[in-house]
Amino acid sequence: MLSLKQISKYYNTGNNKTYVLNKVDLDVEQGEFVSIMGPSGSGKSTLLNIIGMLDQPSEGYMYFLNEPVHQLKEKQRSALYKQNIGFVFQAYHLIDELTVYENIETPLLYQDVKSTERKALVADALDRFNIVGKKDLFPAQLSGGQQQLVGIARALISKPKLLLADEPTGNLNSKQGEEIMELFKKLNQEDGVTIIQVTHSEKNAQYGSRIINLLDGKIDSSIIL
Amino acid sequence: MIKNYLKIAWRNLWKGRVFNLMNITGLAVAVACCTLIFLTVYYEFSYDNFHEKLDSIYQVYNVANRPKGVEKSSSMPTPMAAALKAEYPAVKYITRSGNTGGVVTYGNQKINEDIHFVDPDFLKMFTFPLVQGSSNAALSQLNSAVITEEAAKKIFGNKSALNQTLLINIENREQPFLVTGVVKQYPANSSITFDVLLRFEHFPQYNADKDSWGNRTHMVFAEFNEGYDPAIFTQQIKPFVNKYYAEDLKNLKRDGAKPDANGNIFSLALAPFADNHFNNDIGIVEGNGISKTYPISLVVIGCFILLIACINFINLSVARGFTRAREVGVRKTLGAGKWQLLAQFWVETILVCLASTIIGLLLCTLLIKQFKAIFKSKISLGMLLEPAHLTGIILMFLAVTAIAGFYPALMMVRYKTVAVLKGKISGGKPGKLRNTLLVIQFTLSTLLIICTIITWQQISFLSNKPLGYNKTEVLSIPVDQGTRGADALRLMRNELRNNASVVSVSGAYMNFGRGNDGSSRRSVLGFIYNDREVRTHLQSVDYDYVKTLDIKLLEGREFDPNFKGDSTGIIINESMARELGGKNLVGTFLPMLDGKPKAQIIGVVKNFNFESLHDDIAPLTLTMLKDFEINYIFVKVKPGNLVGAYDNIKSSWHRLYPNATFLASWLNENTERQYLSERRLSGIFVSGAVLAIIISCIGLLAISIMMVIQRNKEIGIRKVLGANVFGIVMMLSQDFLKLVLVAAILSFPVAWWVMSHWLQSFAYRVDIHWWVFALSTALALILAFVTISFQSIRAAIANPVKSLRSE
Repeated sequence: MLSLKQISKYYNTGNNKTYVLNKVDLDVEQGEFVSIMGPSGSGKSTLLNIIGMLDQPSEGYMYFLNEPVHQLKEKQRSALYKQNIGFVFQAYHLIDELTVYENIETPLLYQDVKSTERKALVADALDRFNIVGKKDLFPAQLSGGQQQLVGIARALISKPKLLLADEPTGNLNSKQGEEIMELFKKLNQEDGVTIIQVTHSEKNAQYGSRIINLLDGKIDSSIIL
Repeated sequence: MIKNYLKIAWRNLWKGRVFNLMNITGLAVAVACCTLIFLTVYYEFSYDNFHEKLDSIYQVYNVANRPKGVEKSSSMPTPMAAALKAEYPAVKYITRSGNTGGVVTYGNQKINEDIHFVDPDFLKMFTFPLVQGSSNAALSQLNSAVITEEAAKKIFGNKSALNQTLLINIENREQPFLVTGVVKQYPANSSITFDVLLRFEHFPQYNADKDSWGNRTHMVFAEFNEGYDPAIFTQQIKPFVNKYYAEDLKNLKRDGAKPDANGNIFSLALAPFADNHFNNDIGIVEGNGISKTYPISLVVIGCFILLIACINFINLSVARGFTRAREVGVRKTLGAGKWQLLAQFWVETILVCLASTIIGLLLCTLLIKQFKAIFKSKISLGMLLEPAHLTGIILMFLAVTAIAGFYPALMMVRYKTVAVLKGKISGGKPGKLRNTLLVIQFTLSTLLIICTIITWQQISFLSNKPLGYNKTEVLSIPVDQGTRGADALRLMRNELRNNASVVSVSGAYMNFGRGNDGSSRRSVLGFIYNDREVRTHLQSVDYDYVKTLDIKLLEGREFDPNFKGDSTGIIINESMARELGGKNLVGTFLPMLDGKPKAQIIGVVKNFNFESLHDDIAPLTLTMLKDFEINYIFVKVKPGNLVGAYDNIKSSWHRLYPNATFLASWLNENTERQYLSERRLSGIFVSGAVLAIIISCIGLLAISIMMVIQRNKEIGIRKVLGANVFGIVMMLSQDFLKLVLVAAILSFPVAWWVMSHWLQSFAYRVDIHWWVFALSTALALILAFVTISFQSIRAAIANPVKSLRSE
């Protein structure tokens, strides 16, 4: 499904290049649940952003669903992204001005989904995540766990094949965190969503099927659970 | 999708309502004043455009290259029009045109009407369609009269006007006229205004001037054949000039006139009638033309204000963009395309602009009355509904939303997604663009402040400059049409003789400044003295003129009824004395008028400004010639009780002329009235400057709020490190103050150039002092500082714990 070849990301600082990622090779198969771990500054988030096409590598090739992402034009990349990737953030990043309902609906708007179909899809999602009662609230009126639930519902609304999560439980307490992780596991196993998450927590990493340890921009180890 | 855009736009606007309110206020004010301004300008430029053949009608004027400079005049000799038509085949129609007032009598009612004396071609050239009668025949008879619908209603009420006989009194002679046509009431933007059209043969002095090429009394308009190129007129008409203006050519050559580039020392030229409303340098024209400076400065100021408001909009949107960076980032991760994001922000801009436009137009309806009064504008809001205007408004609206909305939207869309989500962009650098725009705003504002101060200085200089005569205690009474001035003066003199508050009474041909009758006259005479042409303004006066007006007599004496010869004598001013040359001129005889005995100089008076301060004091001769009517009676009263004296004189006047209106005004009112257009210009500058400053300050306020939000943490840290309130306020203000200073300095050369140009039009003017610039700069700086202080002081006083904790 996803294949990274010799991906590097560096910044020019003076005359030196500072490598965030250094020639990373990584393959992820459909249906996997990968946890990326590593100390601060090891390049976890950068790697996730590159996979999520939010950031572009300085060097290297990336194939997603057999498409050479590094060769695609902005527009094609955007289309590929829109239909296949969902993103969950540590800080939720809900839009403050929109209600729960509207936040979940937004990705569909950008994919030109028809109004009736949108309604059905959002209603399903609300139902599935048990937040029907909160649909008219604004993010500021929700707890962190509930906000993250909305964030996940939003990421999944357009039925992506790949879900990327950047420390999804980082801002939550342990109970809320566990619930989110259970949800991820269920999505992975029952719905077949491929998940790549960045996490600091050994415990959360155990929910996945593979753990990749990054150190100084290189893959240190890859453990299949 | 649109619904969604609108919904989100509305929520965002509501969330940032403080900003958006400022934005809308600024823009609404700009819209209101631009609407009023552009309508006014359109109106001024629409003058006379209802004439179907406007583009082929020209006014004839002559150019004399006198030794002292070029002199243009549109006064033409009586036989000229007919001769030109006969000898120059390109002329299709030609008409002479002159105005006076006259009293129209019908039955037992007498009405004062504006009378236009024209040739029959007049109705064929100009688009004044007849509702009764026929254009071709209406002026065919010598005793024909064509009147306007309004005049017909006034004179005849609901009766049919056609074929009725009117008695019209012109220059004290009453004659019968037959109404042969009624003209459809012409629009208000017509330069040519009249109530009654009569044949030119009835123009005063017509019979005396019939064959004279020397007396020039009226305007001439010609319509040329289609496809005629007016540029060749001057050269083609040369033989005509040589034939009929031989006398002028001879005199000019003798006086050492220098030929112009084409070798002409005296030539005829054409001025397009389409420019008539702005044609104020060829001499007499139809209607009250205005200087082009006026509409142009209006347009410039309108554009300034619109530009300043747009700049506000951009600055505010960009500043607000920082707070919305995260939203943009999130939307991008949700799959938003560039154009979708642009569209979303654009919808917000359009909403703000729409609100501003609507509020602006409402403001317009509230202000239009005052505006019309202040600027003597004849606009109406109905004009906005004309298709051309509607398209204009829509185009302007789109342009503003595009300029003001597109750039900030583009900026936001360009943010790097990852950086934004990490919260890195929220600080951001001040931005060259923002600074540039701020500088532009304050350059324009300071420019307008400087213009305001200088026009104000000049105007107060004009009102306070001693003019060489008493303008506070002298009342000028225009003599009613249909009354002989000399008789009125005699009667008033007798009537006021026993009035204790009256010092003396006199009369004259010309007024000082502009009286309530609105007329102005000037009479210039040239004669040969010592083999050289001497030109002088001529003022016909009565006894006691010098005394009544407190004009200083330098030599000789004033006209005195006890000296028999004085009624044929003359008094000259210093300029005239200098023109004549030599000393001890009193007693000298001058060959002033053909066919009359030489006139003896009996006195020399100190120069006084008998014309406006636009002009230097020209040579002037005071005579007691009976050829000139006494049009104004001057009454000097004792100081102290001016109001009482006025009422006294008024009742005397009404005792003598129970039916005549009393149009008297003090001379200082008249001289003030000369500078109406200057006052109007200064009014424009003041309002422009005030608006520009207010809108600029609104923008600055909003930006300072933004800045304080952005630098909140920095302010907190500085306070913890021991900075005091004053230090922080200065720190926050100085960047802006530097920009304002730069802006002020940039405005200096422009302001200097514009104002010195404007001042050139005055013979008497103030100097531009350096302190004007300093004062304007100080003013701009203070206003900017005060504006910023609202925010910076609050930020400086705030408890640092708060701002640091929120990080």
